Amino acid sequence: MKSWLDRLRDPSERTLGVILLSPAFALLALIVVYPIGKLFYNSFFDMRLSGGQGSKWIGWQNYADMIKDGAFWDATWNTVLITLITVPGALVVGLALALLANLPFKRQWPVRLALLLPWALPLAFAGLIWAWFFHTEYGFINDVWVRMGGEPRMWLLSPVSAFAAICIAIIWKSSSFMALILLAGLQMIPKSLYEAAEVDGASRWQQFWQITVPMLMPSIVVALIFRTITALQTFDIPYTMTKGGPGNATETLAMYIHKTTIDYLDVGFGSTLAVGMFVLSMILTAAYLRHISRQESA
Amino acid sequence: MKRLWRTGIIAGVALGLLATGVTSAQTLRVFSGGANQRPDLMRKLFDNYEKQNPGVKIEIETGGATSELQRQYLSTVLNAKDAAIDIYMIDIINPMQYARAGWLEPLNGYLGAEANTIMGTYLPAYGAANVVDGKIVALPAFADAQFLYYRKDLLDKYGVKAPGTWDELAVGLKKVLDGEKNPAVNGVATTGAAIEGAVCTFLKPYWSQGKEFNDATGRMTLDKAAAQKGLEMWLSLVDRGVMQKNIGEVRPADMVNAFKAGNLVAMVNWGFAWDQLQSQADSTVKGKVGVLPLPAMTGGKSATCIGGWQWAVSAFSKNKAASAKLVRYMSAPDSAKFLAIEGSLLPVFAQTYADADVLKKLPHYRDSLPVVQAAKGRPMSDRYGEVSDAIRTTTNAVLARTVKPADAVNDIEGKLRRVMR
Repeated sequence: MKSWLDRLRDPSERTLGVILLSPAFALLALIVVYPIGKLFYNSFFDMRLSGGQGSKWIGWQNYADMIKDGAFWDATWNTVLITLITVPGALVVGLALALLANLPFKRQWPVRLALLLPWALPLAFAGLIWAWFFHTEYGFINDVWVRMGGEPRMWLLSPVSAFAAICIAIIWKSSSFMALILLAGLQMIPKSLYEAAEVDGASRWQQFWQITVPMLMPSIVVALIFRTITALQTFDIPYTMTKGGPGNATETLAMYIHKTTIDYLDVGFGSTLAVGMFVLSMILTAAYLRHISRQESA
Repeated sequence: MKRLWRTGIIAGVALGLLATGVTSAQTLRVFSGGANQRPDLMRKLFDNYEKQNPGVKIEIETGGATSELQRQYLSTVLNAKDAAIDIYMIDIINPMQYARAGWLEPLNGYLGAEANTIMGTYLPAYGAANVVDGKIVALPAFADAQFLYYRKDLLDKYGVKAPGTWDELAVGLKKVLDGEKNPAVNGVATTGAAIEGAVCTFLKPYWSQGKEFNDATGRMTLDKAAAQKGLEMWLSLVDRGVMQKNIGEVRPADMVNAFKAGNLVAMVNWGFAWDQLQSQADSTVKGKVGVLPLPAMTGGKSATCIGGWQWAVSAFSKNKAASAKLVRYMSAPDSAKFLAIEGSLLPVFAQTYADADVLKKLPHYRDSLPVVQAAKGRPMSDRYGEVSDAIRTTTNAVLARTVKPADAVNDIEGKLRRVMR
């Protein structure tokens, strides 16, 4: 019988594995598993910090309230709409940027730098910059609009144009990330394929659809997964551009969670809303993962 | 040998105790608001207090830039029953929430027999805001209120008299704007963006019709017809061309900038604006600014929103008596006079507005007193965050013309019926 000290000194492969994994596991448990578990736990309590009355177990009441809460569904709809518009939007713009950056420029770095800049900018800054762009009196957009003979418009004060403005800002901000991933994918495509296609007399357009797009598919899927998950969490840009206004027309789910938890200090209901968002993210991620695994097995 | 050791230890401990007794000062930790609450001036008052009270040391902590951010921070600290901070500076909308939560130490016991006399020396609204369920829970630090700032020179030029109602203001502004023929100049502005100030934008014309938003217990008493009329009044100013169309974007700082540049004839704004209009280098309107009580609704009375900050002692403090004494000092007439002269922070005592030294530096204070006296408090609620959000987002939607006033009022009622009962 070996003592545990001996086993530590000369561990089996299995023990060694456990030992080496345990710090990472402990860290994950502390910063991921515990907070998520606590979130689920809190969602069953009436826990309002504003009144100092402590917390009370109320079972599924918060979930029943959430289902009946119009603001929750509005915010969810806004979030889904932003995702549906900005993810494909960023993909198209990002692909165009990646193709542009992949052209044989004499100097590559200015192009790459221009590509990186929006990505390197903090989200809140990007939101503030775009809010200024769309400002009625001092905005760049209205300046151009008026010079072209239009009447000054209040872009951020109408639900439709405010929503569109937010989507434009998000696409601008996120397409550089798309472009980076796609550019890496483009550079993996062997030149010989294009040369062979050239010899066979394929047009540029045919080359794009028959070579570039299929070869780029794995990168596209990865970029889409990342982008979709971050789109579901959209907070900074609408928060800084419209604060959810006019009224609640541009409020996303993440903003509603923030408002409930931080402004209203209603931690119980806020946790329930966060669980709702968690489930939404899980459904979409699962759908993507299934798609990938089906492709791999095919 | 053993005995010697024991004697040595006892002597050492005794000496140590003696030393701490002599050298350790009583330290009070104060949360002193954000930059707008002028912690720099408060520090000077604290320094003075330390000099007068040897043995007391005051440490200062500052926090979020806006009232909302400060409330979030303080609610977290106080929920944790943290004893680290003895004294809090809180916005006038917060005493009820904090007191009902049991976070504030009632001060009646520390003020002694003269407690009620002391509360009677403040402007009535400030005395009232700090008494919750019959207990004194805080003492006022300084006041604030919304005023009508206007271009004295332009109104004089076109023979427009100081307006008493919003309607008179609109007629007068129309005259000025028609005469000036400058498309860059707008008539009057108020806070329309969905921030805390928009709560006041909703309440001012509502109150002006003699209606109350809530009763003394905090229950909502919304008169829907009056609320709708109030919101329609703002829209009518836009329709008559005396308020900018994008009013839903406007924040207090935007108004100050436009006013300083000469692009605004009148604005509804807090007391802080005066200092900026009169003393900042880029102001083109120095000496041309007048201050008036807010106009009233036709047939109503002028009403404005009260602001201001209070000193409260934490219920979790370990130095309550000493903290109460410091709060009393900070809320005394001498401190109010100092804050007025050094920072043009509005005083909470009527007599300070008539003080010769104060008037020498701030002559407009003579006109400010009636405004502060007539100012009313926003709805008191222990769930003020929700109250404020419902009112300001809906008001913003009306000003952006995405919601009709009648629907907006139903919206507010629907959202707050449960919260304010």
